Amino acid sequence: MAIPISQMWSVATLVWKNKLKGNKHYPLVLMLEPLFRCNLACAGCGKVQYPPHILKKQLTPAECFAAVEECGAPMVSLPGGEPLLHPQIVEIVEGLVARKKYVYLCTNALELKRRLPEFTPSKYLTFSVHLDGQREHHDFSVCREGGYDIAVEGIKEAVKRGFRVTTNATFFDGADPNGIRGFFDEVMDMGVEGIVLSPGYSYDKAPDQTHFMGRARVRRLFRAALSNRKANWKFNMSPLFLEFLMGDRKYECTPWGSPAYNIFGWQRPCYLLQDGYAESYKELIETTKWEEYGVASGNPKCQNCMVSCGYEPTAVSDGFASIKGFLAMVRANFSKYPDPQALKMLNESAPRSAATLVKIAAPERSLEETNA
Amino acid sequence: MTAEVAKYTLEQAEALELSPGTEHLKLEGWVPELAGDEDLRQALEKAFDYRGDVTLTLKTGERVEAYIFNRQTGPTLAESFLQYFTPTAPDKRKISYAEIARLEFTGKDRAAGKHWEDWVKNYNEKKAAGEKNIALVPDKLE
Repeated sequence: MAIPISQMWSVATLVWKNKLKGNKHYPLVLMLEPLFRCNLACAGCGKVQYPPHILKKQLTPAECFAAVEECGAPMVSLPGGEPLLHPQIVEIVEGLVARKKYVYLCTNALELKRRLPEFTPSKYLTFSVHLDGQREHHDFSVCREGGYDIAVEGIKEAVKRGFRVTTNATFFDGADPNGIRGFFDEVMDMGVEGIVLSPGYSYDKAPDQTHFMGRARVRRLFRAALSNRKANWKFNMSPLFLEFLMGDRKYECTPWGSPAYNIFGWQRPCYLLQDGYAESYKELIETTKWEEYGVASGNPKCQNCMVSCGYEPTAVSDGFASIKGFLAMVRANFSKYPDPQALKMLNESAPRSAATLVKIAAPERSLEETNA
Repeated sequence: MTAEVAKYTLEQAEALELSPGTEHLKLEGWVPELAGDEDLRQALEKAFDYRGDVTLTLKTGERVEAYIFNRQTGPTLAESFLQYFTPTAPDKRKISYAEIARLEFTGKDRAAGKHWEDWVKNYNEKKAAGEKNIALVPDKLE
């Protein structure tokens, strides 16, 4: 695990305190979207499809700090849009760091190298760089040739300047598990602290609606990619969440674990699904009909979701809330997940061009079931 | 889970290979007929999901261009409301369903015509023509 001990301690104590209080609805990460404007136009993105007058709006630093204090999560993720397009992003980051929040600034890194001198390295600040795979796959995924090379330049410069850096990948249908493993090798060679990954979510508002994997396919892809791990791979994620993606664990969604705040207010019920807004965090927690969301609810909008913002809080709580969970987490950190069947899946998975987006062939039944 | 119809069993969800995704209706330019309360509710639900601006005509005759980002439905139209931004005012606005006489999907659908297949076709054509640095670019903030 690549996460600093002080950060793990902040999260662990939050879980223990809330468990002792019997409080079920507590936040681990605030998804703070300061704007929706972006300098990419990815077909799979459901976050930037707005009229110009909405894209021009942005949260003020004061609004950001008020949301952070209202919610109280120890970690703050700054997605978007592209946060580096916000004219006051440095002030926002400095204010969050001063509040001792662990900040993940999610960026496509097109502007990162140029903007780095404005930021100060800190254990509280991580640049989480959007990289969806190796060069060809990433460029195709973000619909921009040359995007990978610019992002990698930014990553290397940030690492050189002493910043915490992770990569953040979203995988859609057609992703090749061998390519993903090659990608892990590449990013670890860049000197990043760890890898963050997630399967894509079928955003209602995304232009493209036909390349989102269902849960069976997600489990198969990640079982092939994440089993038989190499010793140098580090993940900036809960190891139990990775086991969930591989089909080794069954979890329910914890949508309140990663509440989202943006120019519209507190988003119901989660960062991904826009089913309305609350005026305050308290109103969000108290008035959202949580039982109507998550895969067990039968809600069609939740049926393919295995995304980190909903399921990683479940995994984190599981890991810190019981001895059994904690031991599983410790064990997971030392396991390389040897799995001959996963190896067979890798050998059967032919390399493909990102442009052709050949669907992953359905393997034999014996290879696709979960171990959970 | 407003306006949902089909529900999945856990077994069905776990066995899904591909997500069916959302079928986007071509709403740009549409003016729904609002014969009764239920028509209005259904049309406003579509306006809430729409990825562009709409124009509301109020019972007072006033016309409001709006991006609708929130709705809360109650037992009566008077107890149901929309929240929206207009292109010119900085603050959020709120209006009761009971005040709305007409709805028009006047703004551009901001995701229409941007499918993955459109990008692949566009890419392959430009590549064949020898272009370099091929990319989709964000819409201009006119």
